[in-house]
Amino acid sequence: MSVRSQRFPGHTAAARGLAACHVCGKVAPVDSGSCPRCGAGLHLRKPKSLQRTMALTLAACVLYVPANLLPVMTVESLTDGAEASSIIEGVVTFWTTGAYPVAVIIFIASIVIPILKILSILSLCMAARSNRRPIGATRIYRLTEIVGRWSMVDVFVVAILVSVVQLGTLMSIKPGPAALAFCSVVVLTMLAAHTFDQRLIWDAAGEQPDELK
Amino acid sequence: MRDLATSQRVVCPCCEANLCEHKPNPVQRATAFSLAALAFYFVAHFFPFLSLEVGARSNEISLFRSAGALNDFGNPGLAFVVAVFIIAAPAALIGGSLYVLLPLLWGHALPGAKLVCRWVYDAGPWNMIEVFMLGILVSMLKLTKIATVHLGVSFWAFALLIVCLTASFGAIERLELWRRLEHAVGGLR
Repeated sequence: MSVRSQRFPGHTAAARGLAACHVCGKVAPVDSGSCPRCGAGLHLRKPKSLQRTMALTLAACVLYVPANLLPVMTVESLTDGAEASSIIEGVVTFWTTGAYPVAVIIFIASIVIPILKILSILSLCMAARSNRRPIGATRIYRLTEIVGRWSMVDVFVVAILVSVVQLGTLMSIKPGPAALAFCSVVVLTMLAAHTFDQRLIWDAAGEQPDELK
Repeated sequence: MRDLATSQRVVCPCCEANLCEHKPNPVQRATAFSLAALAFYFVAHFFPFLSLEVGARSNEISLFRSAGALNDFGNPGLAFVVAVFIIAAPAALIGGSLYVLLPLLWGHALPGAKLVCRWVYDAGPWNMIEVFMLGILVSMLKLTKIATVHLGVSFWAFALLIVCLTASFGAIERLELWRRLEHAVGGLR
């Protein structure tokens, strides 16, 4: 109990050994082990949150390389033969053919968002160690959670094109290895954001509103 | 929660997150939107969403068949992605929330309702139908150069499915749903 009150100072539920269930939100004594309402495991903070988040983010970084270097799809047509293109080549094609809005959408969803997401998760892990502006880090976390899923758009475009454009020898589209690598990057960063416990930011800041002190 | 007046809400003093707000008739509204979503789900998944014409050849495909088609063309990975994010996750959300919500209208809970309720909220982030919708629009723009493309009836049902699912989850708060569920399960004992 004394270790806990050192880690969670002040008049908080955590200092009294009460935890809110991650699943249903019921507040119960953490020593009872599982939530009396929904049966989920009770923890003051998500267990091994930082280690898991870092591991998942590193895996996403590694997969980000093949996701961008390898071809995302191959177009085989009667007139042009087989033509493989990576994600960035797809963006360039849209831009040069004058489809500027689509080029911008794909560029933001497939290139900018994954990089920003990986960077912001890393910065959140730093913020959970020492932090002066917890509200800023919390906003970054919320944005990361909302925006991350939209990176999947390119994977879905490939899936739609492959299933629709099957016109025999005239034209057919095959997915490249980058599609699944990219999908894995998105899923891994989503899991990383999910395993991150945003209350760690506030623990590191040691900040509490006046009425709780 | 019941003491909140209209337009009042409770906010975390630290991070300014919305903790709860006044929502009128939460179970009724969530159930209504879920039922509407169920109807749109069937139209969206079993009718063609995109048809393609090149010369005399044409090809049209429904969402439900697209996963199978991907698998047949030797792409089990992509087929799995579509099956999980576009077919299974929204189905789990709609089916699961109706399993919990419909009996709650009369203050009851079916066996395993708590487990189903956990699954529904776990499945939430993996439902990517709105991202898929953007994907349909982008691939349509990509295809207009090589073929005549028509959006099918399923596309519009898909748009309404997104609206109804979002509205259903917006109509009732997670904590409020759990509070009512606990009450209903307690009433059974």
